[in-house]
Amino acid sequence: MPPLTLALIAAISVFLLGNLCRVVKAMLMPVHLRWDLYPIPKGPRDRQRYGGSYFEETEWWTKPIDTGLGGEVAFMLKEVFLLRGVFENFRALWVWSLLLHWGLYVYMVSAATAVAVSALGAHLVFERTLLLNAAFAECVDACTLGGIGSLGLLATRIFNSRLKGFTTRATVFNLSLLAAIFGTGLIALFHPNRGMLIALAEIVAGRHATGAYSSATVCHFALVAFFLVYFPFTHMTHMYMKYFTWHGVRWDDLPARFDEGGRRAIAKNLARRVFWRAPHIHEAADQSWAAVVSSSGQLGKTEHD
Amino acid sequence: MIKIEDIARPADRLTEIVPERMVPLPPPYDGVDALPPRKRLTDRARANCDCSLDGFLAVGMTRPKTEEEEQQLIKRFIAGLDRLLSPDDNWAFLQQLTLSLDHCARCQTCVEACPIYTASGRNEVYRPTFRSELFRRIVNKYAKRGGKLLAKLKGEDIEVNATTILRLLESAYRCTLCRRCAQACPMGVDNALLTREIRKLFSMELSIAPKELHENGSVMQLRVGSSTGLKPRVVKDTIEFLDDEIREQTGLNIHTPWDKPGADVLLIHNAGEINAWPENPMAFAIILEAAGISWTMSSDLAGYDSVNYGLWYDDAQFARVAVRQVQAAKKLGVKKIVLGECGHAHKASMVTADRLLPKDLDIPRESSMTFLRDIVLSGRLKLDPARNAFPVTLHDPCNMVRMMGIVKPQRDILKAICPQFREMAPHGVENYCCGGGSGFAVMSAFNFEDWRFLVAGRTKLKQILEAFEDCPDPETKKYVCAPCSNCKGQFRDLFNYYGVWKKSGILYGGLVELIVNAMTDLQKPYIKWEFH
Ligand code: SF4
Ligand code: SF4
Repeated sequence: MPPLTLALIAAISVFLLGNLCRVVKAMLMPVHLRWDLYPIPKGPRDRQRYGGSYFEETEWWTKPIDTGLGGEVAFMLKEVFLLRGVFENFRALWVWSLLLHWGLYVYMVSAATAVAVSALGAHLVFERTLLLNAAFAECVDACTLGGIGSLGLLATRIFNSRLKGFTTRATVFNLSLLAAIFGTGLIALFHPNRGMLIALAEIVAGRHATGAYSSATVCHFALVAFFLVYFPFTHMTHMYMKYFTWHGVRWDDLPARFDEGGRRAIAKNLARRVFWRAPHIHEAADQSWAAVVSSSGQLGKTEHD
Repeated sequence: MIKIEDIARPADRLTEIVPERMVPLPPPYDGVDALPPRKRLTDRARANCDCSLDGFLAVGMTRPKTEEEEQQLIKRFIAGLDRLLSPDDNWAFLQQLTLSLDHCARCQTCVEACPIYTASGRNEVYRPTFRSELFRRIVNKYAKRGGKLLAKLKGEDIEVNATTILRLLESAYRCTLCRRCAQACPMGVDNALLTREIRKLFSMELSIAPKELHENGSVMQLRVGSSTGLKPRVVKDTIEFLDDEIREQTGLNIHTPWDKPGADVLLIHNAGEINAWPENPMAFAIILEAAGISWTMSSDLAGYDSVNYGLWYDDAQFARVAVRQVQAAKKLGVKKIVLGECGHAHKASMVTADRLLPKDLDIPRESSMTFLRDIVLSGRLKLDPARNAFPVTLHDPCNMVRMMGIVKPQRDILKAICPQFREMAPHGVENYCCGGGSGFAVMSAFNFEDWRFLVAGRTKLKQILEAFEDCPDPETKKYVCAPCSNCKGQFRDLFNYYGVWKKSGILYGGLVELIVNAMTDLQKPYIKWEFH
């Protein structure tokens, strides 16, 4: 198999595995206590508008609880595609961030389109040309948007007074890496000999000859491969970990009386041993949480007894 | 500009509060000279504690005296970090903690949402992300594999020494856990949660917490029944005295029922009300009796005090109190618990303790806001809104509103009984904290009160003054409805500090007082326009 194909396959494997590990790790965390934060996009629409909850209902425990995902999905779509939170709270950052995010999204679409080309038989010339042209247009847009976005973000991070004190080496590195990916992408796309997307289609099909591509193309794919390997170990995984921070924590308002599984899981947690060392935690060494909770932490009787 | 790594460097003072740099208040509160003199820390406090974060002390942990003591402190602190990341010790919040540690993009989108940071004139030390990032770097370096090397590579190296630890502790008590910043974070990261975890580490591993929250708070509650120190006999006597007071004031003959088995409702107040604002439990009794509710109070351990200070600093103390409160209800066989006007008690019992309680202890718990809304709108009380013909605004307690979504019931009541009701801006789930959140309202050791009034309560005060800007004259009496005991505590002290009653004629109080004030059964107005 050609080395670039191999490198990309290896990078994609690490990418998938790394991200999977992160998701599995988050899923295997012990069931936690509730930490709701409103507004939560559940329940009747007029209530959602002002951030109300089922606790506003008379004897709420006698009423059905909305566990639907419709509101959550609608909210998340706005967050992912429009960066609603940044728009509302930090407009100077939003413009660049939106460009970068859309650059990444469109880049993924163009890569998928190019991959689709490789799946088409060589005889489907018209279809292949059509898809390649589409992929080309998408990729030009993606690299332009992403390139401007990452450079704009980099400058904002470095010069904006609200940000500069908190701009870390890792942030500068990440944005530079993205800018390099988009920059080399653009150069590679317009290489007169063989465009980068044809290369991608060929690489995916495992049909290219080493050295036949422009150095920009090779450089671009090498950077993409590095990014794929690096991504799961960075905070950039927030792209999908938002599912946990939003859906799994702040929107997780299901009461225990409607969630027997959750209650059982917590009961198991209460059997775990406690190792905290402050004297008020333990009346005897290494007790379970259940024992700690039922003790008063007073090393003796309460004045109430 | 202060950098995060400065936290470990010795300095007399990392930052200080300069009133001229803070967000200005409207006249007549704009003069810096009119402020009461600042409290000076005692020589003893200066000698023994580290006040070098900002010149204030909330906890006042004693500085280690020898090199050996310092090493011991560092060792135990790092052990605490490990426990925070352990599923055994921290199953209750591990998910939230790791998500917030690992997914911050350092984008600073959250910072302008913080009333403390903005009010301070954007002092770096109070930036929501300053504390979080400091803690994140410490965790990454000292509690994760390869942390030391990575910290150097990434330029995020923080040295943990006694100064770092003491400043981190004080810094964890410069945030009211209001979670406004969390609301603004596009990643779902929660700086308040991180602050609480820091507090927890200090309490559960090092046994360090503000005296008002621990010894005089949750420990006292678990020992005598209430964080106020009121024992059951005393609390019953006091309530009996208040029943007499009702008779004298209104002519109504009320006997507060105690430990009545099988009652429909167990009413649990923040016991602080009984001492500080007795008109509140009295008003509850008047309303419940007039509405014909079958109700009771409990004299069991924690059954007559809804507070749960552990919510702010310690999981074990939190769980102990939460369980005992519902045990009191279970013993009486009541149909439901109604939580009086106390925001954190609402959240502690109805949300945070929810999954903790075994099925047999899961007694339904209801907010007094919905409970009262139903009574008021049912027409069971004869109410005349004309009796409340004065400007009223509503404060939204963070725990009840932003963290529980109880927004509308209290507004439905106010709209029905207060013709001059007006909102603050912003309000509802976007409200600003009163500045007394997360225990601050009861914390007054050292010189912490000065910080609480100068910085923490500043945004709220500004907001209240703006809500009444059409009637600033002190002769026009105005009312801030604050259906939360801790918020009222903060308003009392904050208004006192700035002389708000005198200068602007603004009184604070609960919701039930307004309801009773509107009751036509009463000859005289219930609200006495006296500041206390
Ligand atoms: S907490 Fe959220 S908003 Fe604030 S810097 Fe981190 S990611 Fe950005
Ligand atoms: S929780 Fe509130 S006080 Fe604390 S940092 Fe966030 S916004 Fe500021």
